[in-house]
Amino acid sequence: MSSNTSSKKKWTRRAFLIAGGVAGTGLVVGVAGMSFLNKRIKKYTGRGMGEGASLNAWIRIAPDNTVTLAIPRAEMGQGVYTSLPMMIAEELEVSMDKLKVIHPQPESPYANLFMLTNKEPNLFKGTSFDEKLYSFLTIIGTGGSTSISDGFNNMRYAGATSREMLKEAAAKRWGVSRANCGAENGHVINNDSGEKLSYGELAAEAAGIELSDLPELKNKAEWKIMGKAVKRLDTPAKVDGTAEFGMDVRIDGMVYAAVRQPSVIGGKITALTNEEDILAKKGVKKVVTTDNWVAVVADNTWRAKNAALSLKLEEDAQGNDKISSESIAGMIEESLASTPIAVVEEEGNVSEAMKGGLLEARYEVPYLAHATMEPMNCTALVEGDKATVWVGSQASSVTQTAVSETTGIPKENITVHTTYLGGGFGRRGETEYIRMAAAIAQKMPGTPVKAVFSREDDMRNDMYRPAVASTFKASITSDGEIEAWDNKMVLQSVSNSSMKRMMPSMAPEPKDDVASTEGARELPYHMANRRVSLGDIALPIQVGYWRSVGSSQNAFFTECFMDECAEAAGQDPYEFRRSKLDAHPRFKKALEKVAEISKWTEAPEEGVFRGIALHKSFGSIVAEVAEIRQLGEKEFKIENFYATIDCGTYVHPDIVKAQVEGAIIFGLSAALYGEITWKGGAVQQYNFPQYEMVRMKVAPTTQVHIMENDEYPSGVGEPGLPPAAPALVNAIYAATGERIRSLPLSKHGYKFV
Amino acid sequence: MELNINGKAVQVEVEKQMPLLWVLRDELNMTGTKFGCGVASCGACTVMVDGKAVRSCTYSVAMAEGKEITTIEGIGTEESLSPIQQAWIEKQVPQCGYCQSGMIMAAEALLANNAEPTDEDIDKAITNICRCGTYQRVKEAIKLAASMQAEKA
Repeated sequence: MSSNTSSKKKWTRRAFLIAGGVAGTGLVVGVAGMSFLNKRIKKYTGRGMGEGASLNAWIRIAPDNTVTLAIPRAEMGQGVYTSLPMMIAEELEVSMDKLKVIHPQPESPYANLFMLTNKEPNLFKGTSFDEKLYSFLTIIGTGGSTSISDGFNNMRYAGATSREMLKEAAAKRWGVSRANCGAENGHVINNDSGEKLSYGELAAEAAGIELSDLPELKNKAEWKIMGKAVKRLDTPAKVDGTAEFGMDVRIDGMVYAAVRQPSVIGGKITALTNEEDILAKKGVKKVVTTDNWVAVVADNTWRAKNAALSLKLEEDAQGNDKISSESIAGMIEESLASTPIAVVEEEGNVSEAMKGGLLEARYEVPYLAHATMEPMNCTALVEGDKATVWVGSQASSVTQTAVSETTGIPKENITVHTTYLGGGFGRRGETEYIRMAAAIAQKMPGTPVKAVFSREDDMRNDMYRPAVASTFKASITSDGEIEAWDNKMVLQSVSNSSMKRMMPSMAPEPKDDVASTEGARELPYHMANRRVSLGDIALPIQVGYWRSVGSSQNAFFTECFMDECAEAAGQDPYEFRRSKLDAHPRFKKALEKVAEISKWTEAPEEGVFRGIALHKSFGSIVAEVAEIRQLGEKEFKIENFYATIDCGTYVHPDIVKAQVEGAIIFGLSAALYGEITWKGGAVQQYNFPQYEMVRMKVAPTTQVHIMENDEYPSGVGEPGLPPAAPALVNAIYAATGERIRSLPLSKHGYKFV
Repeated sequence: MELNINGKAVQVEVEKQMPLLWVLRDELNMTGTKFGCGVASCGACTVMVDGKAVRSCTYSVAMAEGKEITTIEGIGTEESLSPIQQAWIEKQVPQCGYCQSGMIMAAEALLANNAEPTDEDIDKAITNICRCGTYQRVKEAIKLAASMQAEKA
C-alpha cells in the first residue's frame, strides 16, 4: 500500500454500491473443506446450458463431450468469453475448441464480488463476511475492469474441482484410488492400466460427487493455455455476420418500437396531438404514451422510426430549458470558489508549505457521450405474469430488477437473455432503454417488442461523462521537489446520479463519491505536502460511468500539470517523474520500460515530438508515450503510441494488448473531438458528424509491452485510456510551446491528419 | 420488387425509399449488416453494390434494384472463409465486433479494386468508425489478406 495513502477506507468505484451501507470486516468465516462453506454457490439452475450434467454453476458436460460454460460477464469486446473460459479449461484439462459459451441467468453464484468488495474472491474456499452480505445482493455486472480479478480464483477452482470429481468418478469405476488417475484433454486416464474414459462418459456420475478437499491449482510455469495468446472464441462469429447482438434478435411475431423523448432534458410530455395520423401510417400498430416518452410500434424499424419523428408532442420543460453550457460553467465557477464538500486526501500542511516557485493552472473537460457502435436496444416479451428480455446489457441482475420494477412481475418469472454487446463502456450498465422496452411490451401482451433507439435518441439522452474543472497549485523547490500540491475538482457526481437510477437507497452523497476523485488521489509521486478536494454541482443532467470514469479526466489534469511542474523544475518530463517514484517500484519500472521502448532518451528525428504520461487505474499501471509529427503550425500526425501495462498476472496477452490499443483510440477520440454541449436544456450534438471519432487515417500505431510479474491480476479494459490524452497534449506542448488545458483539441484549432 | 442479393433473386414488397439496410435486416432477416448511425457516417451498414462499398442505411432499395448486392453473409462461411475473413481471424481484429461486418465489406470492396493497397489507400478507403479502436489490426489484416490473395493468384 502506498505510503501516501490516506487512512480512509479506500472505496473504489465498485464499492460505491455499499458506501455508507454495510461495511464489512473482511473476516473469512468459511471453514476448510468443501461441504459446503458457501451454499449460494450451489444456487443455480443451469438454464440454457443444453444437455449434460452440471459439475458446478459454470460447467456442464454432455455425453458427446461438449463442455458448456456459463460465463456470467458480458462480452463487449474485452474478451471475457475467451479469457474466463481459458482459466476453466486450464484446470479442467480440456482444449479450447471443445468449449461452448453461454450467458447464464442472473443467479447467485455469478455475482461479481470483486466489483463490490475490491477483494480477491474465492467462492470455493469460503466467503468473507462482507462478501456474504454482497452475495445476497446478487449484483451480476460487468464493469470496472473486474472480470479477471473476480474470476481468477473462482474460474480455476471451478475447473480444478470438476476435474477431480471426474477423476473420482473414473476411479470408482475402475476400483482404483483417485491418486492413480490423471486427466488429459477431456479424458481421465488410469495411470496403472492406461485405460481412458472421456469426460462425457463420466459427467453424470461425477456430478453427484462431493470432494472433501480443494485441489491444488497449477503453478504459472505449468500453464498450457493461460498466459498464451490463444484465438478468441468469439472471432469466427464476428467475421461472418452471425454473432447475435441485441439489435439482431429475431423472435417470431416480433414488432419494432421507436421512442421519442422530450427535447429538453428531464422534460415531460403533456400532449400528443396527432395520434390518429400516426396510427394511420403504413405498418404502424400502436402508440404508447407516457409522461416521459412516446413510443410508436410498427412492423419494421424504419417505419417505426419515421412515424416517431412525425409525432407532434407538447412538452413541459420543467424549467430545464435554462440549462446551457454557459450556465453550467457558471455553476462550476461558483463551486470552485466555494468551500469544498470533501477533502479526500490530505498530507502535511499544504497551506503552510505553499510558498515559493508557485505554479497555478486550471484544467477543464466537457461532457462526453458513450456513443457505442450499437445504439441502445432491447427486445421484451410479456406474457401474463412472465417476462422475457433479450438485451446486450452489462448487468443481467440489474436488467432483471429493472424489468420487475417496470412490469410488477416478480424477478423469478423474468428470463434475461444476454446477447453480445456492440460496445458497453458503461452505457450498457444503464437500464432506461430496457425499462421502456418492457413497458411497451406490457401494453402488447404476447407480442415480442424490439425497442430500438436511433443514434440521435442515444446521443441526446445519454448518461454523460460529466464536465469537470480542476484547479492546481504547486510549490516546486529549487532542486525540483514538489513541496506542496493542491488540487480541487468540481463536477456532478457520477455515482450519485447513476445509483439513484439503479439502487436509490444505496446512492452515495456526492461528497462520498470516490469515482469523482479517482485518479487524482493516491498519486505515486513523492510530494511532501498534498491536498485533494472536491466540489460538486447539482443538475438534472444524468451523468454516468464512462470508460475509465474519474481517471478519464483526472489523468489528463494531473499528468499535464506534472509536465508543468517538470518545466518549472527545469527537468525532463520523464526524469522528473522517475525521480519521484522510489517508493513505488512498479510505477517506476513501467515508466522506465516505456521510455526504453519509445527511445525517450534519444532525440527524435526533426519534426517529431513526444509526450509522456503515467497513471494507475483499476489496479493497473499504464505508462504511455505519444509520438507526433508536426506538419503545420497546428497540424499533426499522431504516428505512434508506446505503452507499458502492469496488470499483474495476465491471462491472455494479446487481449491485453488489444485492450490497450483500443483504449488509446477511445481516449484520443475524446481528446481530439469529444464535446457534448448544452443549449436550451438540450444536447446540441446528435450523430457522428457532430460528435466525431478517430478513424483509420488519424489512428496511430501502438506498441504495447506487458510487464511480467506474479501479482494478482488487475484491470485491463479501462487502464489504457487515461494516459492517452495527457501523453498527446504533452507532446503538443513539446512541439508548439502551447499549454492546452482544456479538451477537445479541435476547439483550440488543432488538426490531426 | 426483385433484388439480387449474394447471387440469389429475392422478392420484397416495401416502399421504394426504404433504405436497403432495413430491407436486409427487418424484411429479409439478414442481420449481419448493422445499423450504426443512419446517416452514412459510421459505415457499420456497409455492403457492396456492383462491387463498390455502399452505406446501406441511406441507400434506398429502389437504387439497389437490378444491381448485384453483396452482404457479409455472401462472402464466406465458417467452413470457407474469404481471405479477408481469414486475415481478420489471424490478426484477431474484432473486439465487440459490431462494426466489423461493415469494416470487412469495406475491405472486400477495396481489395476487389486494388490488389495491393498502400497505407494511404487503406486510410482513404476505410473510413468506418470502430469505437473499440481496432484500426491498427484492420490495416494489418487488409495487408495480410492482400498478400494471401497474391499468393493464390
